Amino acid sequence: MHEAPDELDTGARRVTITVNGHCGQHAVQPRTHLVDFLRESLGLKGSHLGCEHGVCGACTVRLDDTVVRGCLVLAVQADGRRVETIEGLSERGSIRDLQQAFIRHNALQCGFCTSGMLMAASELLEHKPGASREEVREWMSGNYCRCTGYQAIVDAVCEVLASRRVGAAV
Amino acid sequence: MELQVSVTIPSTPDQVWQALNNPEVLRVCIPGCEEVRQISPEEMHARVQLKLGPVRANFIGKVRLTDVRPLQGYTLNFEGSGGSAGFAKGSSVITLAAVAEGTRLDYTAQASVAGKLGQIGGRLIDASARQLSERFFEAFKAQLSAAPVPALPLALAAPAAGLPALAAPAAAVVPAAPTGWFEKEKPRLLWFAAGVASTALGVWMGAHWLR
Amino acid sequence: MKAPAFSYARPRQLAEVLALLDRHRDEARLLAGGQTLLATLNMRLSEPALLIDLQGVAALRGLQLSGNTLRIGAMVTHSEIEASPEVARHAPLLAMAAPHIAHRAIRNLGTFCGSIAYGDPAAEWPACLLALDGVVVARSVAGERRIAAKDFYTGLYTTTLEPNEMIVACELPLATSGQRYVFDELSRRHGDYAVVGLAAGAQLQNGVLGKVRLAWLGTGSMPQRSLATEQVLDGQRLSQAVLAQALQTLRAELQIEGDLTHSPAAKQHLVGVMLKRALHTLTQQPALQA
Repeated sequence: MHEAPDELDTGARRVTITVNGHCGQHAVQPRTHLVDFLRESLGLKGSHLGCEHGVCGACTVRLDDTVVRGCLVLAVQADGRRVETIEGLSERGSIRDLQQAFIRHNALQCGFCTSGMLMAASELLEHKPGASREEVREWMSGNYCRCTGYQAIVDAVCEVLASRRVGAAV
Repeated sequence: MELQVSVTIPSTPDQVWQALNNPEVLRVCIPGCEEVRQISPEEMHARVQLKLGPVRANFIGKVRLTDVRPLQGYTLNFEGSGGSAGFAKGSSVITLAAVAEGTRLDYTAQASVAGKLGQIGGRLIDASARQLSERFFEAFKAQLSAAPVPALPLALAAPAAGLPALAAPAAAVVPAAPTGWFEKEKPRLLWFAAGVASTALGVWMGAHWLR
Repeated sequence: MKAPAFSYARPRQLAEVLALLDRHRDEARLLAGGQTLLATLNMRLSEPALLIDLQGVAALRGLQLSGNTLRIGAMVTHSEIEASPEVARHAPLLAMAAPHIAHRAIRNLGTFCGSIAYGDPAAEWPACLLALDGVVVARSVAGERRIAAKDFYTGLYTTTLEPNEMIVACELPLATSGQRYVFDELSRRHGDYAVVGLAAGAQLQNGVLGKVRLAWLGTGSMPQRSLATEQVLDGQRLSQAVLAQALQTLRAELQIEGDLTHSPAAKQHLVGVMLKRALHTLTQQPALQA
């Protein structure tokens, strides 16, 4: 991390961030949050900004191994760390079944919340493979949707949990 | 937001009035106040930095004094702008009454907050209004008990020569305490201060929803 | 909206952090989890000159057991506490409270000590710290200070931390054998601010309550303990009469302030409900085998 000569210098810093498996050096101002960096500097438009104060969940991305609010992390905080966006998660193929379930259940309409929903759900699938419908609802309640009324989203996640359990048992 | 506060100040109503009329006393007492300026006889402007929790908000407040009843009460109409955060407006009424322990000061305020601050919500607006007014009155009482009272501006001290007997009890304790000019130089600043403190609340409202 | 411009430092040593904090005081803000700070900045409700990121300071990381204390470092997140076997065993009250905090993504970054420093009256951790008689370990260039939980909060979002002081850790006494805990919170939706909440602990010997601790959140401008109510319950068996007396004492004792959605009267009713539920749970659940 390049130290600015003046400790109150607000100018751009050089950071090294691994995004979706690709390590790159970038110049970014301290004030820029992670999703603005991803969208504007890297052209990764899959992460969205709804409220910019951490309540809507549209900005959900992964930092190192956990989901975070991308609007409540600075790009400079991610220096030396790994970030995964919906583009990377999708490309990895690890939520293929979830994405297909979303389509089958009509769990997206405008799609604005969808990347955040998939990100949040992906961590649920990893950490709580035995989650009940109630636990799914609680986990996903940090992501807002204005279109679907949520039930289809919950249905899709529950279906994937069930089918993965069956798959694991086989 | 609605607030009702009653404080007993161990000073006479005249002493309280004088302190209220002293811009320096008020600047010191209003939490985060940086400047107080008189625009016209009925209007004051102030710059205040509100510090509450993580919020640091600079705002400009404007206060107009109406319904002045010397030594009894005033109505203060205030507006405060916190820039992009939104703004608040409201009014307060202050009344003084002489009691055995000194002066009882009753203060009621109501304010509405608009803009972003209003949207985020006033979850703790009453609590913070109370906190700010508590801080103000603590500082105000400390100022009054610290003798001597800071020097009044020269122009205000001029009419001291023709003091009515009314001022005698106050005069005994506080030097150069004229009351003849009260009607003209109204003790608007407490109202202003109260209004500023009240409007300041809105600015930190954003903190409410923050976790 | 977008945050204003500020500078950024990521020191590797605690001494550097303290020096920066001492130099810049209120113009600097400490960045631990940032879940409150960055939202504040995005809303432009604060415009500090410098953010001091604590993630590089190894000394601030980790949960440690030593002697009969659990030490929670400044950078320990809500999720770490939620998942920690040490916490489940030695500070089960925290494990009960953690899932109530916001949502998963926030819990993955937000920190215990950050929540303590912020002191939101509806937050879970400050009430837990009070209920457990925890200690805030504060450091500045002048040295270390240990502040008891009951002395830490003095008003709304107001703590006894000096402008150049930071919390480096919080320490909690380990739960002893026979200790029982309950955490409960009422909110309009999961993850919302608590309308009222209770962090409670007690011992139970042959049905007799002892060492009762009741710490309330969401009831006023700070977390508060209801000491008189605790005393009413200490040494008693839970009967209808004792419960009635406790409820009466509670209503008289708690300084309740309303908020945007609930009047003081509504909250007064709800704290009574919470107390009843908590006492039933405490007297029926199995005790800790420490």
